[in-house]
Amino acid sequence: MTLSTPHARTSTSTSRVEDTIRAAAERREPLRIEGAGNWLDAGWPVTGATPLSLADETGIVQYTPGDLTLTARAGTPLDEIANVTAAERQWLALDPFGASTSTLGATIATASAGPLAHAFGTPRDNVLGLEAVTGDGEVVRTGGRVVKNVAGFDLTRLFTGSWGTLAVITEATVRLRALPEVEESWALVVDEKPEVLDALFTRLRFAPLEPLALELVSPSLAAHLGVDSQGRAALLIRLGGNEGSVRSQRELLRTLSDPVGAPRGLWRTLRECEPERGAVARFSAPPSRMAQTWTAARAAVRDYAQAFVHASIGRGIARCVVPTTELGAAERLIDAATRFDGTVIFERLPAELWPRTRGERTTSESGTERLARGIRNRFDPMSVLNPGILGER
Amino acid sequence: MLARPSELLTYSSDGLPTYHKKPALAVFPHTRDQLVRVVRHLAAEGVPFVARGAGTGLSAGALAEGDAVIVGLNRLKQIISIDPVNRLAVVEPGAVNVSLTRAASAHGLHYAPDPSSQTACTIGGNVAENSGGPHCLKYGVTLNHVVALTVILPDGEIVKLGNADGESAGYDLLGAFIGSEGCFGIAMDVTVRLTRNPESVRTLLADFTSIEDGARATSAIIASGIVPAAIEMMDGPTIRAVEASIYAAGYPADADAVLLIELDGLAAGMDADVALVERLCTEAGARTVRVARDEAERARLWQGRKKAFGAMGRIAPDLVVQDAVIPRTKLPDVLRTIHEIAEREGIQVCNVFHAGDGNLHPNISFDSRNADQSARVHRAMRAIMHACVEAGGTITGEHGVGLDKLEYMPLIFSDASLDAQCRLRDVFDPDRRANPGKVVPIHSCREWSLAPAARDGAREEATA
Repeated sequence: MTLSTPHARTSTSTSRVEDTIRAAAERREPLRIEGAGNWLDAGWPVTGATPLSLADETGIVQYTPGDLTLTARAGTPLDEIANVTAAERQWLALDPFGASTSTLGATIATASAGPLAHAFGTPRDNVLGLEAVTGDGEVVRTGGRVVKNVAGFDLTRLFTGSWGTLAVITEATVRLRALPEVEESWALVVDEKPEVLDALFTRLRFAPLEPLALELVSPSLAAHLGVDSQGRAALLIRLGGNEGSVRSQRELLRTLSDPVGAPRGLWRTLRECEPERGAVARFSAPPSRMAQTWTAARAAVRDYAQAFVHASIGRGIARCVVPTTELGAAERLIDAATRFDGTVIFERLPAELWPRTRGERTTSESGTERLARGIRNRFDPMSVLNPGILGER
Repeated sequence: MLARPSELLTYSSDGLPTYHKKPALAVFPHTRDQLVRVVRHLAAEGVPFVARGAGTGLSAGALAEGDAVIVGLNRLKQIISIDPVNRLAVVEPGAVNVSLTRAASAHGLHYAPDPSSQTACTIGGNVAENSGGPHCLKYGVTLNHVVALTVILPDGEIVKLGNADGESAGYDLLGAFIGSEGCFGIAMDVTVRLTRNPESVRTLLADFTSIEDGARATSAIIASGIVPAAIEMMDGPTIRAVEASIYAAGYPADADAVLLIELDGLAAGMDADVALVERLCTEAGARTVRVARDEAERARLWQGRKKAFGAMGRIAPDLVVQDAVIPRTKLPDVLRTIHEIAEREGIQVCNVFHAGDGNLHPNISFDSRNADQSARVHRAMRAIMHACVEAGGTITGEHGVGLDKLEYMPLIFSDASLDAQCRLRDVFDPDRRANPGKVVPIHSCREWSLAPAARDGAREEATA
């Protein structure tokens, strides 16, 4: 199947999206872009908008295993892609938190990533090309279907993580990887004292280890995952490679501590333990400050027994999850974020609390804000695509 | 500052000898402050400019003509800082690629993107082109290694893109800037990720009596699940050009193709991967598979590959080179088509390329003073490009569009897609003074083809 020429006909379902957006732009009526609907409470609230669902835009358009690339419609669930590629011993190395019915389009639009980002990066590192419809109803193809491409200005990166505010993604081509010959996961029970964590992270940084994922989980989360950590935090380590390489890495872990075998389905359980409602924020700083970031993130949710924290330690990111709509809990999280010396990105909050994350209003617009506003105006001139979701004024 | 025609001659072309454009002036700021003053002065005067690093580009991207001024960045070559714990480095745009790797080596680190011109090309130029290199098969291209930039926009405003101290929020302006070929502004400093040196590196040379066997070996290795650091292919004419030059690497001169394969990573398990690659090559028809015994032999094998373009320069005065990328399963078919096109036009095409990711570099040495030969060469190049696009490929994998591939942009992008690219450029550079006339054919920008007054009106309406 070849559709890669620019003059390939747009699919009828893309035409439907195009027509809907054109009509909305004409009437200046906002649209709420939806995939499987799993992440609809993420981002600032979008009010008074008509849903535009991509949930029926499913199906794999092109998959040639030897090329290690796959093209699918935006509404294709990640687990469908996983099933199809696993049959060829390949995978799309993206594991965003949430239900595995989450769609490819939503994962890219929100730039959502999980523990595998440690080794394979985030959507921006795995997306090769897109078909998308801009806010004025133009069907645009970006990038291509090959693994390396510098032709033209990079709209693929621009649309990835733009939360549907510039264009609605209708199709995506992604890079696949071969599944490792051998894969196994281990857990190390860890002491959370910053100096102990620091020492462990330093040893890991220099050790001959090439893990696929390295995720620190708080005690209650460890228990939920079925890791026997005796009420302490655990470092989850996902190893992959050939027999010899995995064996030597396993032996190395034994010199660090006493690794516990991870329960079956560990990574899937971790992905899917997202609460239906609640507050979620990511604290990040350089990896050298991971121990402090972890401590700050743990302190931010200390008062809530059901809350948990997990961290991608190689990337310096700790993610706080508070599974409650109780305002007090979310307010504490916002206060802790204000005090944190680093970057905080909120994923979900009770709607009324979003304005509090803005911090003090600065008098003038920064250069990057000006660029962002200019881009928004160019691609969605009538502001019909998810207006307000990025907290834009 | 250079203004005399004789002095400007050096800046009238880049790594592609077939293009010449005369800049009005060339300025070379020695400090970032001077760079800011230069850009702001050009903005105040409304003068177009072209940022230029070492001039090693292969797309005629860093050429200026008419009243456009070259802003040479190769004096801004400081490595500002190296943070070995977080594996980050901050450099000025004119820092030479390999000098960063040298500076990082004391910490057991290196900068992964390694274009063949790495001993001369600059990090700023790499950012502009989103450069690759042999090792990007495993490690990714410039995009995957730059974490933050300080950019001076064409209007003189300074902005920070990306975030070196944590995650980045909002639109991926950093990703949009990388690979924008000097059309969005000038990077004043670049924060890059450094990569840990692998514990073990093994370099193999497999030689074949046909290109197709080499292509099949490549596919088999990719499909096996091993991710080599690099898989490079050179065909017979390239092998012979290299072996006849001072860069002779000991490639078997009677082979029709060699694969240079590098495996790196943890020492444990390496022998098994090497054995598997050897077996896959042999099964695909390799005559011999040789594993470099020491660092000297490894360096020699690579030297031949990295200097292959230089070696080709001995054959004839002019050289054209393409950079198409095709789906990897199409390698045997497309290489056969390229061979047929060359035969038909009666020319010699040399193929030296990144087989592992399907990034072809067919190149033709010729004499531009011979009009008939020139015509055949250009006809062949166009036919090759069409064949690559036809196979589902793209027109450039790492060299950029520049001037050289402008005419091919409509082959892979619709009018609406090209117009969308123009919209992005217009936000960074509404006056189109930064590297004018490059990357996107001007006629494909709808708004731009309107009269200026109508354009401004349209913009106001759009923002209302």
